[in-house]
Amino acid sequence: MRVVDTKGQLCPAPLIATRKALKESAVGESFIVLTDNQTSLNNVTRFLKDNNTAFQMSEKGGVWSLTITKSAGEMVHPEAEDYCDNGINHFEKGNYIIAITSDKMGEGDDHLGHLLMANFIKAIKDLDRLPAKMVFYNKGVTLAAKDSPVIADLKDLEKMGVELLLCATCINYYALESGVGTGILSNMYVIAEAMASAGNIVRP
Amino acid sequence: MVEYGGCSAKISPKQLEEILKYLPLPIDPNILVDIDTHDDAGVYRVNDNLALVLTTDFFPPVCSDPYEFGQIAAANSISDVYAMGGDPVLALNIMMFPAAKLPMEAYAEIMKGGYDKASEAGVRIIGGHTIDDFPPKYGLAVVGYVNPAKIITNSGAHPGDNLILTKPLGTGIIMAAQRLKMVSEADILEAKRLMKLLNKSGAEVMKKHDIKGATDITGFGLAGHALKMAMASKVSVTLNMGKVPLIGSTYHLIDDGCIPGASFRNLEFVDEHLLSSPGLDYNLKMIAFDAQTSGGLLMSAPADKTEAVLADLHKAGLESASIIGTVIKRDGKYLHLSS
Repeated sequence: MRVVDTKGQLCPAPLIATRKALKESAVGESFIVLTDNQTSLNNVTRFLKDNNTAFQMSEKGGVWSLTITKSAGEMVHPEAEDYCDNGINHFEKGNYIIAITSDKMGEGDDHLGHLLMANFIKAIKDLDRLPAKMVFYNKGVTLAAKDSPVIADLKDLEKMGVELLLCATCINYYALESGVGTGILSNMYVIAEAMASAGNIVRP
Repeated sequence: MVEYGGCSAKISPKQLEEILKYLPLPIDPNILVDIDTHDDAGVYRVNDNLALVLTTDFFPPVCSDPYEFGQIAAANSISDVYAMGGDPVLALNIMMFPAAKLPMEAYAEIMKGGYDKASEAGVRIIGGHTIDDFPPKYGLAVVGYVNPAKIITNSGAHPGDNLILTKPLGTGIIMAAQRLKMVSEADILEAKRLMKLLNKSGAEVMKKHDIKGATDITGFGLAGHALKMAMASKVSVTLNMGKVPLIGSTYHLIDDGCIPGASFRNLEFVDEHLLSSPGLDYNLKMIAFDAQTSGGLLMSAPADKTEAVLADLHKAGLESASIIGTVIKRDGKYLHLSS
């Protein structure tokens, strides 16, 4: 059996070594962690318990031996990708806001206009600097409806830390049947404040 | 200079609570804030317009550069005055230094770092005390002024408020990872920049908007300090861990098991008052317990002021300031953690 010897190491080194061995083990595989530090022992066992990982412990001459078996449902990572890639505010934001005032982009054919708007919203995610906020008013609010074709992209943007402000009057006016899928219901004062304090406003 | 861990060098909050239980609190109508509410500093009323804010903090080195250590320790000590809504005015040095083991230049550099940071805060250091001890430890005892009617405390959070955090989390994890050489230079620089950053600009925004409840995030971690606030305010607090801004690779370091010992001490303390939502990511949960050195302010902003407070914080250069939770009516456990 693999032995991870952390004797002489202090917190959090023994836990890091344990975590590494867990990641490298297959489900059902066991390995042994050795530590001679009471605090490290407490922390490693607390970590294992919190993550429903089975282990057995024995002690001899001030050295604890933990036999750890990797189980299937060990770490709680319900939507791990969300947290690692989108959920945390690491994205650089600019001092500008995007005003979505219509469900179409530009003048001309309606079908093309819808398509362009969908592409525009998708493209925001790839910008080097995200907008500080996006405001949605008039027909623009319909893009935040649950059944909107861009709802997944808007949700991603929100996870990336972009605040989506929706004009509540507009939502009532257009009586969004499926309901609002993302964003914060907001009033004209908040929207006006956001626009007035922005460095610049981008309107597709 | 060897590093020992800044605010993670605090004694366990659980042990501290046990000890403080047996200390009789002095009774004096001029004591406006004492340790009863686990606030950041004590406040003593001088007259109707003036109260003194008193606080002290010191710890062993968090980084190998003595000048930077001095700056960080001073910023951290002064922070408690800002968290109470006060203006820091005077300070005394507190120093433990092994004169036989370390060059006296290091001593001078630590002091210089402290002086420079104090000057930036408008604080005059007018004395201090040094004893011979290893490892070195440094900090300040700080006195600030506050208007008794405008004290900001742990007990000022109300249901419906939003919780705003002014600095990203992760200094404990990053500094532990640095000792194990697991982290990039860029992340270390960012962590140091944040630890040196005074909470002055955040405090000015709080005062401008007349915020009543706040604390600074230090050794007990976001969860520990939020719990103290919830208890003192007799409310429950929900922290949305997915919204908490983090320094660089903090999340990945936790995922690799880089969870400092202080995090487990803080978890112990909070555990009985904690409700974690079932799907909460374990790594995000553990971030809440990371001991911060010279961390940001956690302020409880009424809903109708939140937008304006946040905008002003961003304008003041605190770009990472985010809404990370809400205050609700006391509901079962004091602290709710969700994604």
